[in-house]
Amino acid sequence: MSKIFVYAEVVEEGIAEPSLELIGRARELADKHGFSVSAMLVGFGVRKLADELIYRGASEVHVVDNEVLSKYNLLFYTRAIVEVVENEKPDIFLFPATTTGRELAPRVAARLGTGITADCTAIEIGDYVDPITGKKYEKLLYQIRPTFGGTIMAAIVTPNHRPQMATVRPGVYSVPPRDTSRSGRIKEWTIDFSEEDVGCLEVLEVKRERRKVDLRSAKIIVSGGRGARPEGFKLIRELAELLGGEVGASRAAVDAGWISYDHQVGLTGQTVKPDIYIAVGISGAIQHVVGMKDSKIIIAINKDPEAPIFRIADYGLVGDLFVIIPKLIERLKVAKS
Amino acid sequence: MVTVNSKQNPSSERLNIVVLVKPVPDPKEPPKFKPDGTLDRLSMKLVMNPYDKYAVEAALQLREALGGIVIGVSMAPPHAIDALREALAMGVDEFILLSDPRLAGSDTLATSYALSMVVKKLWSKLGKVDLVLCGVESSDSNTAHIGPEVAEWLGLPSVSYVDKILEVSGGYVKVKKLIEGGYMVIRVKMPAVLTIAGTSYTPRIPTLRDVITARRKQITTLNADDVSIDTSKVGLLGSPTRVIKMWAAEIKRRGKIFTDTDIDRLIDNFLAELRKDGVKLK
Repeated sequence: MSKIFVYAEVVEEGIAEPSLELIGRARELADKHGFSVSAMLVGFGVRKLADELIYRGASEVHVVDNEVLSKYNLLFYTRAIVEVVENEKPDIFLFPATTTGRELAPRVAARLGTGITADCTAIEIGDYVDPITGKKYEKLLYQIRPTFGGTIMAAIVTPNHRPQMATVRPGVYSVPPRDTSRSGRIKEWTIDFSEEDVGCLEVLEVKRERRKVDLRSAKIIVSGGRGARPEGFKLIRELAELLGGEVGASRAAVDAGWISYDHQVGLTGQTVKPDIYIAVGISGAIQHVVGMKDSKIIIAINKDPEAPIFRIADYGLVGDLFVIIPKLIERLKVAKS
Repeated sequence: MVTVNSKQNPSSERLNIVVLVKPVPDPKEPPKFKPDGTLDRLSMKLVMNPYDKYAVEAALQLREALGGIVIGVSMAPPHAIDALREALAMGVDEFILLSDPRLAGSDTLATSYALSMVVKKLWSKLGKVDLVLCGVESSDSNTAHIGPEVAEWLGLPSVSYVDKILEVSGGYVKVKKLIEGGYMVIRVKMPAVLTIAGTSYTPRIPTLRDVITARRKQITTLNADDVSIDTSKVGLLGSPTRVIKMWAAEIKRRGKIFTDTDIDRLIDNFLAELRKDGVKLK
């Protein structure tokens, strides 16, 4: 049976959610189209997490558990994954489009000489006829993603190379339910790292905060960026409260210490799609935009008319947020009473 | 600024830096399509990928601190040359444009292979390349593949999402890499490939004089044969992935921008528009 592999990213609290989402999606596709689902688990002391992957939908877990993998090392992780892939020959290999997945997956793809599609917002299985040769392919991975700044969608296939690889954006599929009655096979791999240069790439320090606020179910999010400053966040909180929404932030605001990481939206924060997203003093750097561009309605408030955020906004208010927001709050309060 | 520790190895710390720059359709202009529905890239004005400006800025700061040379490399059609002048105006020393019709339609694996062959050529010409930098991704394709894939073709370590280059010392580079909820500090042996996420670098804006000087700087155009590219590995047919379909994204933004020095009127107009569109703020 053709295999779908899913990379199981490990964070302190266990398997990273975006990987569980992919196990769930792979299970759905596998049941419908006749594939098996295997998880690829790499690290040190990670063997104990294998059951969790089975409970979530994997029928097989490949484990590379080695002390040299105790800290994330791109080169060692690539090496471990490639060795398992060369033996197991999966048909499809999915990675979460996290900061780790998006550097690890292309390295694995390039070493295997196969194709890869980044940051897919949907994956499906379908057939393909090569328009040049007329050759028909069955059950290929359709890798679907936005391109050209989100204005165009593209469906991509990898007809002749294996595995067909993709990274998939966190949050587009839901975490599957945990079913402890499920069983599966766990295969442990021993890989010899003795030839590797340990000093070539070394993680010296990791600082990572865990998230306590979940913005993903919020209907309205009012987010502040570098332009908001601490005083601006007071106004943002007030507006969010008035609208019954949550407070979000760009990485710049979090790094400046104006708000905690729990509220960060974007590549290294949360991916959200509320009914209304109000971006205040946020310029619209790609790292922020990937986390909110699927919001139903985007409202931007920024004093710089050239700010990229206006290009993806439904409504853009050009002006000083410290003047606009108090007046907006005032008007909304009047309307309310 | 980067911390410089050149005591241990003063002469060899001068850096040969290659910056990969992608000319992209101007993000400010709407995309144009050919009658068959595919993107008409040739008729779109090309500018330097905004994310590559951070990489150029990082490279220039390193050169200013340690000495060395910054060479830009692009793979693009010939009309991309204006976009490369932007990088030269910022301060890049010289530029290589890899341009060949046989490269058209290359996906990220094929593109990274072609770019890696240019880096190899420079490597043998200069005797060494210490760092290959690029923006974390491009504004048109947003794959973030090229950095790690080029590194793989060259057999070099790489770090993606570099927020800041902290230190260059004794043949190693220490970087701060962005991760979910924080950062990692990673030490990498050079030569290495780094993709710059940009948050710590503000790209310099060239003066008129810089722009004029840039016109005199050298842009060398090479074709696939000049850098010994195996043409069976590039172009549409050499690429493992195929785009089978493209369509307009469902989410069409309304793009209603309100500008008014009278903020009360601006808010009136905005709220009136929301009512007209049936959008309720609460």
